[in-house]
Amino acid sequence: MTTLSLHGLRKTYPGVGQAAVHGLDLTVDSGSLTALLGPSGCGKTTTMKLIAGLLSPDAGEVALDGTPITTLPPERRGIAMVFQNPLLFPHLTIAQNIGFGLRMQRLPQTDIAERVAAMLARVRLDGLGDRRPAALSGGQQQRAALARALILQPKVLLLDEPLSSLDPSLRDEMRALIRTLQQETGITTLVVTHDQAEAVALADRIVLMLDGRLAQHGPPEDLYRRPASLAVARFFGGVNFIPGRSQGGLFQCPIGPLTLPPGAPQGDHILTLRPEALRLGPGANPRTGRIDFVTFLGTQTRVGLTVDGTALQALTTPDLAGQLVPGTDLTISLPPEALWLLPPE
Amino acid sequence: MTDRTRLALLLAPALLVLGGLFLTGLGLTLLRSFRYMPALGLTEPDLAAYAAILTAPGFLASLAFSLWVAAASTLIAAVLALAAALLLRQTFPGRAVISFLVQLNLTVPHIVGAIGILYLFSQSGSFARLAHAAGLITTPAEFPILTQDPYGIGIILLYVWKELPFITLILLANMQTLGEDHEAVARSLGATRWQAFRHVLLPLLMPSLLAASALVFAFAFGAYEVPLILGAHAPKALPVLAWQASTDTDLATRPEAMAMAVVIALIGCALLAVYGRMLAKGGAGAR
Repeated sequence: MTTLSLHGLRKTYPGVGQAAVHGLDLTVDSGSLTALLGPSGCGKTTTMKLIAGLLSPDAGEVALDGTPITTLPPERRGIAMVFQNPLLFPHLTIAQNIGFGLRMQRLPQTDIAERVAAMLARVRLDGLGDRRPAALSGGQQQRAALARALILQPKVLLLDEPLSSLDPSLRDEMRALIRTLQQETGITTLVVTHDQAEAVALADRIVLMLDGRLAQHGPPEDLYRRPASLAVARFFGGVNFIPGRSQGGLFQCPIGPLTLPPGAPQGDHILTLRPEALRLGPGANPRTGRIDFVTFLGTQTRVGLTVDGTALQALTTPDLAGQLVPGTDLTISLPPEALWLLPPE
Repeated sequence: MTDRTRLALLLAPALLVLGGLFLTGLGLTLLRSFRYMPALGLTEPDLAAYAAILTAPGFLASLAFSLWVAAASTLIAAVLALAAALLLRQTFPGRAVISFLVQLNLTVPHIVGAIGILYLFSQSGSFARLAHAAGLITTPAEFPILTQDPYGIGIILLYVWKELPFITLILLANMQTLGEDHEAVARSLGATRWQAFRHVLLPLLMPSLLAASALVFAFAFGAYEVPLILGAHAPKALPVLAWQASTDTDLATRPEAMAMAVVIALIGCALLAVYGRMLAKGGAGAR
């Protein structure tokens, strides 16, 4: 069980003006499965490589249980990394691939064979040990790549977009396998992903990175319901934003005063509520708006409407799609407990 | 015109050159090596020419010399090229300049390079003069014999200098295709820099390294002009021996020259076959 911490980690690539990672501070709790989430090009993979020692930072520190490892070469950090592509060694069999790290440690052949056999079973590749990587499917290759890292019992496991090279049908299976193996081994694991749904489904905690900076760190629910900034809210699919002023439990804004939940901060803010929290029909904070569009999304229906010049969106059950007619009026309500205030831009 | 006719017509020029020149030449060489030369009144094929060259005192020494020169040149050039490719794939100031210098001699003909080596490394060459000027030697004879020497040092020097960039370029192209991800994976799995090279990069490069080396070996083994200029009086490289026999005023040595040419070709083919098998093995691993 190891805590991974980053202090003021900074990296700029030569010839590129903007830093890939700007002074990142982060603690990954011992035994947790944390997702490093962000759009492509936000510095996620660079951060992973800095942690693994495949790149060296311009400034800052990487530490395991408080001991700095920033200057250690990758092979002495006890951190294993699984890349986006399986990158199995094509000249070795699956069993030799999985046993690679142990062979580098010069363990006896019999020990290696025993541990590889056990690992093959754990990732459900029994009987495929003698095959070459090219003879395996994409999902099997990715499982072999995971096994190749896990067999080393690393202090920290880094997974770089482990599901993105897989067909959608294989993703659930792989996600479940990662989750199970992580819970069984308790290895501190950091998963990089650009897919918020994947991060939410997989991780205990989410670290959201935007433009090389840490935007928010916490349990998935926090990032959904209590975003720290407009950018975080937008990244998680937030679309309803109303500027205004909070005073004495009321939010004064273009669509009139709204009742806030108790304890809401005072002053200028941007009010947000998730589209799925906006209710169709009368209730607390009722308003009437005109329907702009209705989009059937399969499992949900997206409704766009305008209330006193302010555009809002709601996500509702798909069976309502036929009853909602663009151009007609609709009563909606904004439940106070779903309202969240963001700092003004 | 049917597709088949069109294909035949399109292939005809290449086939004519290949078949007409190469195969006819090869056929004539074979016939003559079997002492079938009606112009000289030889109409009963036999193996006397082969028997003659195999028992001639200089032949085996020449064969050994040619194999030595080709093997040593290939091995040294391959090792140095591997080191050069590893260096040149990294980014460092002056890389473009070094890369240019490494590739520059690809354009120099072998014969020009051979004469250059002679000017630089012979006992009356530039380096001997510099050594004399520096007071390191007092007479030309004190300078080590590096050209026209019995070990073929001058020839090996030329081949290494000339073939190194060729192998380097092939390896660099291969490294570019491979990328550095496999090595990065190896490092993150606990391999040291050396282990990542030894157990991952080198096996992945092996097919192209073998392919380039085989070409260099075949060339160094069969080429004639470099050992003619830089070789010693004895032992002569096999191609030089064959050329001299075939240009001898005594026409009776002609079949022996042809027999030598056939032996050179056979050894070349045998080596290529061995190399092909190694490549198939390595290739199966790399897939």
